[in-house]
Amino acid sequence: MNRIAKFAAASALMASISLAALAASLACADAAPRGGTMVYGRYADSLFLDPVLNDANVDIWILSNLYDTLLLPTDDGKGVQPGLATAWATALDGKSVTLSLREGTKFSDGSPIMAEDVKWSLDRARNPKNGIWNFLLASIDSIDIKDPKTVVLNLKQTDPAIIAALSVFNSAIMPQKAFEAQPGATDADKAKTFAEHPIGSGPFMLQSWNHGSEMKLVKNPNYWRQGDDGKPLPYLDGVTFEVIPDDATRILKVQSGELDGSEFIPFSRVEELKADDKLNMELFPSTKIAYGNLNVRPKLKDGTDNPLSNEKVRLALNLAADKDAIIAIVTHGVGTPMSSYMSTATPYHVGQGAQFPVDVDKAKQLMKDAGFEKGFSFSCLVIAGDVDEVGIATALQQMWSQIGVTLTIEQVDNATLTSRYRAGDFSMRLSYWTDDIADPNEITSYFAYSPTIQSQHSGWKSDEADKLFEDSQKELDPKKRAEQYARIQELYKSGPTIPIYESPYPVVLKKSVKGFLQIPLGNNIFSGAYLEK
Amino acid sequence: MLNLGFVVRRLLQIIPTFAFILVVTFVIVRLLPGDPLSAMAGDRVTDAQVLQAKAELGLDKPFIVQFIDFTERVATGDLGRSFVVQIPVVNLISQRLPPTLLLTGMATVLAILLAIPLAFISALRRDRAADMAIRGVFQVGLSMPVFYIGLLLLTVFSAQLQWFPVGGYGDNWGDRFYHLFLPALTLAMSLAAVLMRNLRSAIVDVLNAEYVDFARAKGLMPRIILGRHVLRNALISTVALLGPMVGTLLGGAVITESVFAIPGVGRLMIDSIYGRDYPVIQGLTMALAVVVSLIFLATDLLQAALDPRVAK
Repeated sequence: MNRIAKFAAASALMASISLAALAASLACADAAPRGGTMVYGRYADSLFLDPVLNDANVDIWILSNLYDTLLLPTDDGKGVQPGLATAWATALDGKSVTLSLREGTKFSDGSPIMAEDVKWSLDRARNPKNGIWNFLLASIDSIDIKDPKTVVLNLKQTDPAIIAALSVFNSAIMPQKAFEAQPGATDADKAKTFAEHPIGSGPFMLQSWNHGSEMKLVKNPNYWRQGDDGKPLPYLDGVTFEVIPDDATRILKVQSGELDGSEFIPFSRVEELKADDKLNMELFPSTKIAYGNLNVRPKLKDGTDNPLSNEKVRLALNLAADKDAIIAIVTHGVGTPMSSYMSTATPYHVGQGAQFPVDVDKAKQLMKDAGFEKGFSFSCLVIAGDVDEVGIATALQQMWSQIGVTLTIEQVDNATLTSRYRAGDFSMRLSYWTDDIADPNEITSYFAYSPTIQSQHSGWKSDEADKLFEDSQKELDPKKRAEQYARIQELYKSGPTIPIYESPYPVVLKKSVKGFLQIPLGNNIFSGAYLEK
Repeated sequence: MLNLGFVVRRLLQIIPTFAFILVVTFVIVRLLPGDPLSAMAGDRVTDAQVLQAKAELGLDKPFIVQFIDFTERVATGDLGRSFVVQIPVVNLISQRLPPTLLLTGMATVLAILLAIPLAFISALRRDRAADMAIRGVFQVGLSMPVFYIGLLLLTVFSAQLQWFPVGGYGDNWGDRFYHLFLPALTLAMSLAAVLMRNLRSAIVDVLNAEYVDFARAKGLMPRIILGRHVLRNALISTVALLGPMVGTLLGGAVITESVFAIPGVGRLMIDSIYGRDYPVIQGLTMALAVVVSLIFLATDLLQAALDPRVAK
């Protein structure tokens, strides 16, 4: 080769090496740094880490870090994406769902995930004797294993929510052999010992747990999902949860740098933390709502007449309550008004702005029409010491005095409140709700469909709403289902609840924490989180 | 000096105390409004599920059957499983009791270290500037709520000066003393205030006693008078206070444990009462009864050591 050619060849080689180096450095600059343990502050500890038998958000919201489901919720919490199943197809008649299982997935102990584990886990989850979440999978009649990579769910009836249900925590895939090898005669007994050393296929595994104090998760080396750099997730070596019930202490600990982040920041501290340039004050969109729950039976438990059974009275109460003012006072502007009984993040929600814009004159007129011009008095149950609930009740007390209603606030502890609520021995209580599934059927079955729990133990019953709900549970056409839910929400305007506000999940994080997400359903997703150096 | 019979008698007295508490706690928790099922899954449970859960927990059986089952198990050392966190009560208590014992122990030591010298200075300089200052500071400390003192200490010494960690319990023994110093100091303030006032007035009384005049007349050095005669006799009534106060500290540490995020039995007791976690409430009350009885025994022995007449 002559000198020019050699020179050209050398230049080309240099150029391509430089380009490759540039591309590599760009890729490295994009790729999340790996390593480190994220320390996260929680206000309360988890109780029982079994996907099927748990019953509290403190468990639900972190279960997805230990266990995988066939389908995963999307980041906006409204849809699904592949999880342990790579493909899913509903039959034309809607009465079966075929799932293709992902190749090469393993549990954290290294054992392969088999179709048998999938069938066993779903059968356990849908068993009416097990826990309180089996209703989400109630439409499944039987499960067939067609081949090692294909599982078919045969449904009793068409179920528009079954796909969403396969991304809910209770349908997590667990290792059948390891679970059944646990000591104990019943499923509940085995679950207790299994939960002390759980084996799942999520991004993390449980390393240690000091109840009430600290939970340490470490990365699962067998996790199937990959990061942007083509290597398995998670980016973190581990996550440590520290339980710090006192809000002020928890925030101090983030500000001092000992915690990388913390959940449940009180609304009153949000502005202050937003102004801190070392921290990111996140307000993750949520399905969380705050609402008042009325007893609408004609007579109360003690036999006295119940004015709240009158629709006009309920409408008057809604119109006299200035929700915007409550949002300003109680949530310091962080909350937003509700336009339905369900949150705006719930699928098939309809409405915009405040559902009952404040109108005190109209409220007074309605009270007069209902025969209560002189007003009446009743009491509201709130959780003692819950700053937000006490704030809401106090504001309502002031607002309703304008229409002659005297509201007494009864502060009780959770167990007392719940037992009176379930017995129907209340006039009103305040409460919160978050969806567990990206479908309106869960909230509607409790709030509006009377057979479940008499519409939040209120005694409200609408035959039309009941029928619409039953039909919607089988309706596969999204347009028709949307119409059904629009009508249910219309009927519920005279329902037993007072929608107060929606609020996001207030989470504070160090600026170095990236990739952490709390989806609208509440799940804390650490699989994509990383710590910038 | 140590009457073995006295110690054995007192130890045996713990048994009927224990039995009494067993019965009383068992009845009281079941009289509280609501039950374990009320504390679980408030909104998302049907009546049928509540009944099933009740049966699984054995709560649908008659009271007397539940009581017999319970006492039979306690006799074998089985305190049952927590309804809420599903782990054996014995494990839960053995995890959560040491932090509270360590915290209470440190608080007692700190309180004594603060109270004795300050009580002496206060008594010897009675009604003068030092006395007023010491009593004044303790008065202010006593009037501030515990959570306020705790939060103040945390904000200044932990968050801003970073001399101490922000709450928590630490990973190993050395670390634990470091983590518990501020909370122990918070708890110690109220105990020290009470001990100091009591000891001060006891010292003042003793200083006026005839045997002290006699000791001075004999020509004994002031140090020996103060140490052997004054302190020893003044401590008698103060030690009598110590028992009940330390017992109160054990349960009352709940606020300090919450502010400083210490996983102790104070928080466990509150949480299990809110959750109507019957096995834990029962097991914990009995365990605490035993601990408090042993503390009372220790203070009685200390009193007997100071005043042999007590042991007779």
